[in-house]
Amino acid sequence: MLGIFVLAPILIGTIAYIIRDTWAKPLLFLFQFSYVAFAFSQFLSVKANGPIIWNTGGYTDGLALSLFADSLSIFMVLMTSFIYLAFLIFAVNADYFHSKFYFMFLVLEGLIMGLFLSSDLFNIFVFSEVSTVVVSILIMLNKEKQAIYDGMIYFFVNVIGSSFLLFGAGMIYRTFGLLDIRAVSAAMPMLEEPQAMILPYAMMIVTVSNKTAVMPLFSWLPKAHGTPSAPPVISAVLSGLYIKSGVYLFIRFNQMFAPVIDMQSFFFWVGFFTSVMGVIMALGQRDIKLFLAYSTVSQVGLIVVGLSMGSNVAYWGAVYHIFNHALFKSTLFLTSGLIEKEYKTRNIHEIRGLFRRMPWVGAATAFAVLGITGAPFFNGSISKYMIANGTKDAGITLLLNIINLGTILSYVKYSAMLFGKSREEQPGKPERIAAATAFVLGVISLFTGLFGEFLTEFFFGIELQVDTAEYIKKSLVYVFMLVAGVAFYKGLLKRDRILERIGTTELTFNGIITVMTGYFITILVFLSSVL
Amino acid sequence: MNFIFGEVAGILIFFIGLCGLMIKKSIVKTIMALTVMESGIILFYITINYTPDTIPPIGQAQEAAFADPVPAALMITAIVIGIGITAIGLTMFMHYKQEHGITHWTRDRNQQGSERKC
Repeated sequence: MLGIFVLAPILIGTIAYIIRDTWAKPLLFLFQFSYVAFAFSQFLSVKANGPIIWNTGGYTDGLALSLFADSLSIFMVLMTSFIYLAFLIFAVNADYFHSKFYFMFLVLEGLIMGLFLSSDLFNIFVFSEVSTVVVSILIMLNKEKQAIYDGMIYFFVNVIGSSFLLFGAGMIYRTFGLLDIRAVSAAMPMLEEPQAMILPYAMMIVTVSNKTAVMPLFSWLPKAHGTPSAPPVISAVLSGLYIKSGVYLFIRFNQMFAPVIDMQSFFFWVGFFTSVMGVIMALGQRDIKLFLAYSTVSQVGLIVVGLSMGSNVAYWGAVYHIFNHALFKSTLFLTSGLIEKEYKTRNIHEIRGLFRRMPWVGAATAFAVLGITGAPFFNGSISKYMIANGTKDAGITLLLNIINLGTILSYVKYSAMLFGKSREEQPGKPERIAAATAFVLGVISLFTGLFGEFLTEFFFGIELQVDTAEYIKKSLVYVFMLVAGVAFYKGLLKRDRILERIGTTELTFNGIITVMTGYFITILVFLSSVL
Repeated sequence: MNFIFGEVAGILIFFIGLCGLMIKKSIVKTIMALTVMESGIILFYITINYTPDTIPPIGQAQEAAFADPVPAALMITAIVIGIGITAIGLTMFMHYKQEHGITHWTRDRNQQGSERKC
């Protein structure tokens, strides 16, 4: 049954590509609604009866190519299908919503589902290669010069990254004679020499680190996610959903190697530096899309930190942050597209007075900004509370606070757009459906925060007791940090030359590959000193 | 002991390809280096778990042990994907070169095509 998740979007996309536009739109929406309903029913079934396994060809489990849904992967599927529905509604009246676009868009949905559900290493490789192709075509949809350059960088870097995964899978097969993640995981403790796993682990983790865009490997991400001419929906799907497949594989691979290899302390620091670096780069940007892309880097860093803290609460907090980040980053990218269309610029310093000129879009942006900075009652505060609850160590708490201060600092810069007075210009054509979709996504950021305790229990079965006194304390810290952020930004960082120079530095293609090799060697050296 | 066998050669070819990606600025050479990397992986796969005196698993005859067919099956898929990747890479490059006349990776945003709007 799980095969439907992968196959159905691709089939429907193909049919919609062939038939006329007037029929394709109702078909797409009908399909996506039923798809969300199906995902929800499967989610409930996993919740009630435990994991679902779907083996192709009736072979025994472990040998067959299989799709596997446990509580984590079916949650990712549900999240993806739901946000895809919002994206389709957002894009329905846009000028780029033609057959080529929605064919690629739906194929990408099927491939993301494949990455979430697949339990076979080779299938994961195939899905990641094909989705790389689809994503790069989507980036280049407008065939602008810069978009093609960015798409090429994205394409080659990720193809090279994926070939590491193929090599790693070959080494796993050589050792175990298995390719299924669950079977390999079960066989892992029987391994006599843990050293044999150093090379495959390093290979596979380079791929997922590249896909997740952690510290030294994030250079491709702002190019791909912040491509100026790419439609906002594509940037949103890349930043909101597609990057999560990398994080998901990061979780899965680390679980697979857990019996012999423990890299949590390493990835804690990698995540921390990713987060800090993302904020510093984001502060140096003028282009709102590039700003949001670098902010994605920093949030992914926070997720990696949460996953690597070695505590159950922090782990599920990070998973909840994946969902929350998908919500508010999608909202921000969608609204940024509307803002760009209205103001005809992407310069963060020229856009002012959003509340007055585009009230609904302004409100959606405000909700999303409050969510991402972790304001009280918003969803970000719940997931950050869970991550912070995973530790009692004062030093780690301090590091988490530094990350959060950085996020607030960068979004003080971003939310300056909301206020002030806009230049007098003819207001553009209002896009009601698109603005309403963005607004609804923004409001969901509030509701997933208000009902955070219920939702974490419902989605993950984690009983989260939000301690009121501690939550209020955290809220006070938030307000304090907000004030500090505003003061710090206004006083020091506004139009800071050094930050802007840092923000515009970038690696060439050869630099990116060299850094990737360096990262690979670092992991090899680190592992051989540990094991 | 003989150190020159498929697996070692596969690993070496993979890293030679990677080296080419690190030092060559030309986009065509990038695509070639990518193909070199892929052939290294293919060589590695088809030589793992290989023992002499095995026969292909075709038919019902059982005179000798069957060779492991899985790596070969995987590599057929990987070769097909590799061809697709090379073709798409070349298509992108050709379009970019014909439209804008650029053959090398560059750091210059202007040359890449940014409009300096902001």
